[in-house]
Amino acid sequence: MRLSDLLGADVVDQAGRRAGHVHDVRLVQDGPLVGAFGASLRLDGLLVGRRGIGARLGYNRRKMHGPLLVKLAVGWLFHDGRYVDWDRVRSVEEDRILISGSVDDLGQPSPSS
Amino acid sequence: MSGRVLEAGLHLLDRQLVDADGRLAGKVDDLELEFPEGGGPPVVTAILAGPGALSRRIGGRAGAWLEAVANRLRDGDDRRPARVSFGVVKRIESAVDLSVPKADLETNRLEAWTRDHLIGHLPGAGDAPE
Repeated sequence: MRLSDLLGADVVDQAGRRAGHVHDVRLVQDGPLVGAFGASLRLDGLLVGRRGIGARLGYNRRKMHGPLLVKLAVGWLFHDGRYVDWDRVRSVEEDRILISGSVDDLGQPSPSS
Repeated sequence: MSGRVLEAGLHLLDRQLVDADGRLAGKVDDLELEFPEGGGPPVVTAILAGPGALSRRIGGRAGAWLEAVANRLRDGDDRRPARVSFGVVKRIESAVDLSVPKADLETNRLEAWTRDHLIGHLPGAGDAPE
């Protein structure tokens, strides 16, 4: 599987409701040991949201230092960001990721740093 | 969570690869993830770099052209992009530092081909300092 298979994919629950698109994936360095790097990067979950613009700029991370007006505007734009733990992923299809349960019980991402 | 937390698109994609000698060795264009043998969530096993990897992110006609360039450099029909195993990644900071020289990497193919088939034929090419 490649990262590019996940990024941009539509996230859908089993009732067909959409949570949005995958903006990014969270990796945690606690997997099996690999070479000089140490613990490998384990796929922890998916950062999902409806709006595509600006997510790659990093503005949707909580601890953003910046002008207050920018932070407020961007905070509003990305308030619907959700986190999908990897163990809720049922299948990864072409452009679509099916998750268990309902999109309504997806939580918000915790701060990553 | 006990380990360092990264977001792949933000912290890894498009980062510069730097080899053991400090030389630039391509960019992170995609990541390969595999399910471990004992089960559990997928882990990142390799960085994918070069036109063969980038073509999938770009898509469309530009992506198809890039993929054709990548295939031109390959022997046989194998459609793999250049793969840098995570075993040779030393550190991820603003760049991705590797523990091997770039000559050991598959990403060297495009540069080697360009050097041998294009640059090498230019007058004075042999005079260039290393």
